[in-house]
Amino acid sequence: MPRRFLTALDVQRAGQGEIVLEADTVVTPQARELAASLGVALRGPGGDHVVPAPDRGPDALRSSQAPPLPEPEDRGDGRTGVIVTVIGRNRPGILAEVTAALARLSVNVDDISQKMVDQYFHLVLLVSLPPEGSFDEFKTTLECMGGPEAYAVRVMNERVFRFMHRV
Amino acid sequence: MPFTDREVLETVRMVELETLDIRAVTLGIQLLDCADPDLESTCEKVYAKIVHHARDLVSIADEIAAELGIPIVNKRIAVTPVSLIAAASGARDLVPIARAMDAAALAVGVDFIGGFTAYVHKGFTRADDALFESIPSALAETERVCSSVALATSRAGINMDAVSRFSDIILETAALTAKDGGLGCAKLVCFCNPVEDNPFVAGAHLGTGEAETVINVGVSGPGVVRSALERLGPEANLLAVAETVKRTAFKVTRVGELVGREAAKRLRTSFGIVDISLAPTPAVGDSVADILELIGVDKVGAPGSTAAVAMLTDAVKKGGAMASSSVGGLSGAFIPVSEDSTMIEAVRIGALSLAKLEAMTAVCSVGLDMVAVPGDTPASVLTGIIADEMAIGMVNHKTTAVRIIPVPGAGPGDTVEWGGLLGTAIVQDPGKFGCEVLHRRGGRIPAPIHSYKN
Repeated sequence: MPRRFLTALDVQRAGQGEIVLEADTVVTPQARELAASLGVALRGPGGDHVVPAPDRGPDALRSSQAPPLPEPEDRGDGRTGVIVTVIGRNRPGILAEVTAALARLSVNVDDISQKMVDQYFHLVLLVSLPPEGSFDEFKTTLECMGGPEAYAVRVMNERVFRFMHRV
Repeated sequence: MPFTDREVLETVRMVELETLDIRAVTLGIQLLDCADPDLESTCEKVYAKIVHHARDLVSIADEIAAELGIPIVNKRIAVTPVSLIAAASGARDLVPIARAMDAAALAVGVDFIGGFTAYVHKGFTRADDALFESIPSALAETERVCSSVALATSRAGINMDAVSRFSDIILETAALTAKDGGLGCAKLVCFCNPVEDNPFVAGAHLGTGEAETVINVGVSGPGVVRSALERLGPEANLLAVAETVKRTAFKVTRVGELVGREAAKRLRTSFGIVDISLAPTPAVGDSVADILELIGVDKVGAPGSTAAVAMLTDAVKKGGAMASSSVGGLSGAFIPVSEDSTMIEAVRIGALSLAKLEAMTAVCSVGLDMVAVPGDTPASVLTGIIADEMAIGMVNHKTTAVRIIPVPGAGPGDTVEWGGLLGTAIVQDPGKFGCEVLHRRGGRIPAPIHSYKN
């Protein structure tokens, strides 16, 4: 009989020997502990029992097989970039600092726009990360640049802007 | 550049300055297969299944937040109404299941888990009865478990036996959590016409028509709407106000749609709904009352407030409906009193009465929420308040709820600090008169004539 769960009570009933489980049976922590203390072996269909990946149910399976929902228009080349915005008080060299950091991380600048309003500037860069690059390192490096008195850097995925401003 | 500077800066401003965020990514998990004749085994299964499915919820949500650059404030879990899975055990004390849920929530790192729930809008099963009895202790003994009950629907009418009992449960819960200002009641809500995919606590649970697992997302953004209306100014006419709210709600909901799709994909489950509800936090500027005042009332609670809420809720729903094909059932504006600093101020200066609040709930998206009343409020008065709110929902075919906190030892005008997201409350006066006979009569208020649609 297939079982969804193995509980401590099930182990207690077995008492000894081994219990053979289905591939997707979830073993409760109490059952595992009791089995270990009683010396009951837990076996899967192909040998030792391994913790199964969560079975998310039939709808999840159908969702994963369905074609993805249409997304708002993209750049046409199938790529998703990252938008870096830099906002702050102007002084010479900020663009150089930001692009130097991008160069160190092997990040390519696809597009760039900069505007001045009074003494403040905003810089918008559309960049592509190298496939092997770490997003975390990229984000941390950039967002730690500048400072409260200088400028602030924000990193956001291009898809956010696409979802918000395109249909 | 595929976007104009104006578009890019608008989005960055929403996140950085106007507190646009994803309020909740909620993983719904069906627990029907956890039912067991042995209560202890039920608890084991409940814990094991929740942990098994939600293990990666927090890390994946954090990863999405970092990659997209949109904060995801809360990660939560909603489960099958516990009375359904407890029925097989025949147990009278269901607190052990609440403890198992609490432990699972702690293990996976979520702050709240909803689903200590029963549907009793027409009648009680033995398990519903046991769940009601267990609510006060369950909420007092656990930190993260939220409880909700369905007391009425437009189809079935109002179960007044359940309403009267629920009033006693509220008072008992407040008494057991008296040292925290009755805080247990902040985790307890009753509904008319509950939605079964609600991602927001305290009402979050996963109804029986839902999938095995599902991701539901709650987006908020009162700060964004407020700023948009500030820029629009007081000279614009109401069509322009509605249009501004609608456009803003559209943009905010799009972000929820993106996060929902991404979370479902990465958790390898299905995407349920995105619920766009303007939900305030105690933070300055993150206020729904501010929006109502910007629409044009002097102080929230003044004449005109109900019309302003009606327009706001409707415009939010319209913007949301265009932004996603999976808009959740609550979408609109929440008006939880203690969580909205401007609303608290309105209570303090006498602008917002309980009666006016009730009128506003007839057109807001949920109901009387986070309202503090004196700890010695009689059960019969609570019954009256709840029955009135259920009646509004029943007749208008809308979801209404009551989350009311009788604060032990406090009287009208006293201030209670709950801290965190729950904010500060000023105890409101429910008045001198109650409805003792209505409270004692029992029975049901029959379904309204327009429910007979077949």
